[in-house]
Amino acid sequence: MDFPFVREAVKNLFSRSSCDMYPLKPSEAAEQYRGRIEYDPSKCINCHFCERVCAGGAISVVEVPVEEGTQITRTFDLSTCTFCNTCADFCNTHAIKLTKDYHMIGLKEGDLLVSGTFVKVAKKKPAPPPAEAKPEEKAAPAIKPRDDGKPVQDPSKCVYCGICAKKCLGEALTVDRKEKLWKLDEDKCVSCGTCEEVCPKKAIIM
Amino acid sequence: MAIVYSSLVYLGYILIFPGFLFCFVAGMLITGIDRKIVAKMQKRVGPPILQPMYDFFKLMGKETIIPAAANKTVFLAAPIVGLAAMVVIQLFIPVISTPILYGTADLIVILYLLLIPALAEIYGGSASGSPYAGVGLSREMVTIIACELPLVLIFLSVAKTVGNAMGTGLCFSLSDIAAYQAANGSLMLKASMIPAAIAMLLVIPGETGNHPFDAAEAETEICEGMLAEYSGAPLGIYKLTHAIKTFTLTALFVALFLGGIGTGIVLLDALIEFAICVVLTIIFISLVHAVTARLKIEQLFKYYWTAVSTIALISLVLAWFGM
Amino acid sequence: MFKNLITESTAKSPWLFHINSGSCNGCDIELVAVLTPRYDAERFGFKLAGSPRHADIVVVSGPLTQQSLPRTLRAISQVPEPRCIVTIGSCPQSGNVFKGSYSVMAPLSKYVHVDVAVAGCTPKPEAIMDGLVQATEILKEKRKAWLEAKKNGLKDGPKAETEQEVPAAEDVPASGEEVQQ
Repeated sequence: MDFPFVREAVKNLFSRSSCDMYPLKPSEAAEQYRGRIEYDPSKCINCHFCERVCAGGAISVVEVPVEEGTQITRTFDLSTCTFCNTCADFCNTHAIKLTKDYHMIGLKEGDLLVSGTFVKVAKKKPAPPPAEAKPEEKAAPAIKPRDDGKPVQDPSKCVYCGICAKKCLGEALTVDRKEKLWKLDEDKCVSCGTCEEVCPKKAIIM
Repeated sequence: MAIVYSSLVYLGYILIFPGFLFCFVAGMLITGIDRKIVAKMQKRVGPPILQPMYDFFKLMGKETIIPAAANKTVFLAAPIVGLAAMVVIQLFIPVISTPILYGTADLIVILYLLLIPALAEIYGGSASGSPYAGVGLSREMVTIIACELPLVLIFLSVAKTVGNAMGTGLCFSLSDIAAYQAANGSLMLKASMIPAAIAMLLVIPGETGNHPFDAAEAETEICEGMLAEYSGAPLGIYKLTHAIKTFTLTALFVALFLGGIGTGIVLLDALIEFAICVVLTIIFISLVHAVTARLKIEQLFKYYWTAVSTIALISLVLAWFGM
Repeated sequence: MFKNLITESTAKSPWLFHINSGSCNGCDIELVAVLTPRYDAERFGFKLAGSPRHADIVVVSGPLTQQSLPRTLRAISQVPEPRCIVTIGSCPQSGNVFKGSYSVMAPLSKYVHVDVAVAGCTPKPEAIMDGLVQATEILKEKRKAWLEAKKNGLKDGPKAETEQEVPAAEDVPASGEEVQQ
């Protein structure tokens, strides 16, 4: 039998170890490492998209009505999370971010939950229309689908979150949240139906 | 009065030096140094040198679970018998050239006593009633048989060489071997003894159950083999016996082949003996551990009964012809 | 004097036993990476033990599949006191993406008391090392609690008080439908 590593073994005896000495020397994760979730409730618009796409079912919401509107608490359970980054990808307002912090150790219940609370101020309800106008309004439907199969937006339901524009395969939609603008470029639209599927408020009809 | 005094002295020998306390400290330090050197060779930092002591005391503090299918008496008594036999062997090995306890033991008794710790493990393993222990102990029996033949040939060649010089046929008495070496220089300086020394150095990792000869104690393969069902204090005593075995075998090598370098002062001799044991451990146990894989039991047997026995046989033949 | 020595040694020499109850092997690879030269857990005395009876810390990975659950619980019950259970990854804590399946019986905390949970999918070796070092400190506390219970004269009390109850293999529900979340 031959012993191929004897020379290396003897050489290693007199050279420094290749150990990182971790707890004594802090060590940082790589550049785009997906670690602990950071949730900024001030940017959230409660479109519920992150819960829909979460792979492990780690996001849960508690909504409590208060005087100004609704108090919404969103909790991310790190002990179910797969750290796939899909929620951060889909979040249009970039309220979710996966940081480089990898020290996630839970010693008791609740150690591994990240949550944030914000209050969604209820929109003031418009004054009810006079009684005579009601039958007319009821007779006419709010929006009608188009004949050529291209999407129609319902302005009363749309919150201008911009998800349809992001997911549009042909880049045919322009949505501006500040100016409350929804515009369709008919030449680029291929009537695939993605915008209708992804709209969280069901404000698009085809 | 003299009886009381001499029995106290004997008690001191058994408990302190070269008995239990000395074996404990030396065995733990040698095992610790071995683990540290193996780690350094693998470019790691490794555990602190006192790690085996922490292991031993931690095991003393765990609870002992006795499996339902086990024979309780043998299960608990086997480790203690093994430890006692190991300490007795160390009592009879001369400290380089000064025998501490003599008159009753010679090489043949040491050969028999070397078998007892391994047998204690086999008894303990079979008393635990686990199938993994059954596989482990059959492999351990094959390992013992494999190591016995070269060891017998080595002892015979040493005995014959010393016997030739003293005029008697075969001299097995350890105190006589120590005296001969103190007068004429180490046995290893004789050219005919060098093959026997090399063979003994190759037998040492097999006897102690170190890589690449640890098929009996294969960790991941058979769940630690014979000790699979042990936990707590009995397991601690078995680990202590393993640790002392390394020290005892290297001390035996020093006493048989390097006996001429003693100074005569017992404590200084003990320190020199310990230092040489450490050096031998580093070269022949740690280095071999770090660069080899595990041999199968058939390969182990074949290796010992062909290669190592032939080397020892050369020495025996040379000694028989008076060279 | 010896009692102090034994208590100190409990934290300095923890032996690990790893149980894979159906995992994708990602967490197992990271666990074994902790023993490689770069992160070297052996500095703290960690060692992989071959048999559960030799171990102090049980490391569990994988969502507990229906077939592996009784065997995992049996292996955990064979670990002598004082012991610590560490789960690695998000699978044993909640089943991760396999939640609600007919054959996944996670979380482990429903059956035994889990001491340390290391989150991540998979956690970095440094995070695993943090969790294991935390577990050694918990072990020391458990040993002290055990000594206290013995001193107060409970006969087989120490085991009854501090031992974590592990349900027998027969009591574990056989199919996954009963435990769907």
